[in-house]
Amino acid sequence: MIRTSWLQLALRLGLGGFFLYASLDKIAAPAAFARIVYQWQVVGPVPANLVAVILPWVEALAGLLLVAGLWKREAAAVIAMLLVVFILAAGSVMARGIDVENCGCFSTAKAEQPSWFKGVGWFLIARNLVLLGAAVVFIRLPAPTGQRTTS
Amino acid sequence: MRILRASVILVAGGCLGLAWNAWSGRGFVLGQSVFVQVGDEVIEPSEAKARLDRGALFLDARPRDFWTMSRIPGALSQPEEEFDRSFAELEPKLRGTFNIVVYCSGYGCEASHVVARKLREKGIHAAILSEGWPAWTDAGYPVTGPK
Repeated sequence: MIRTSWLQLALRLGLGGFFLYASLDKIAAPAAFARIVYQWQVVGPVPANLVAVILPWVEALAGLLLVAGLWKREAAAVIAMLLVVFILAAGSVMARGIDVENCGCFSTAKAEQPSWFKGVGWFLIARNLVLLGAAVVFIRLPAPTGQRTTS
Repeated sequence: MRILRASVILVAGGCLGLAWNAWSGRGFVLGQSVFVQVGDEVIEPSEAKARLDRGALFLDARPRDFWTMSRIPGALSQPEEEFDRSFAELEPKLRGTFNIVVYCSGYGCEASHVVARKLREKGIHAAILSEGWPAWTDAGYPVTGPK
């Protein structure tokens, strides 16, 4: 049980911190993020604007709730849902042969790191699958003794 | 209860995002492409084709290698990243016409907008082909091959 609670804490802080950090630059530069969203060519220019304005705040809120330990499973479920959408969208981008050199995952600045790391590709999909696995494990872990299972 | 809470997170995130966009001073106009700024003239491929038929001068804002491989007939290379050097070569031609259209790689490509704005700063108006090269080729309009 002690091992489970430590695993929960690590997953909660890791996932929450990851998404909270990922949201910051996008919140600071929504127009630049909108350009990146549009480059994915999954939605048109106006829906891309809405995604760019709303998505970082959902990431931030879910991340913050996880880190704070409030509505943990619900926040992890939202993150898992986002990750499924990201994975499907990245697969669509790759299948259509679109070159997105900056996925916009953490930063809206032009890519300084290699494209395999910062662009849309297999590394991004693998990373999101790992995060999705972590979110699913967190949701399915039993609540530590003494805690309500609904939070 | 869980679905309700998850929905609250999504809705609250959406509201915060829209509020931030409206009042933070960092927001932008949601109802139009984020690439379009005041003063930009964006035209559809059909209008660009009509202008080509009327003798418009086309500028290719993509990297020069792309222009070398394939381009709109008669288009001159004016890459965004080599703007100053290319402009110095092309300036007499650009100042000799009022009918210029700029295009780039399309879908998320900002080069044509950047080139059009830089030209505007120099007193030259240029229209921007909406969605650029892919929109042109998808419409089945003519292209020319390697130089």
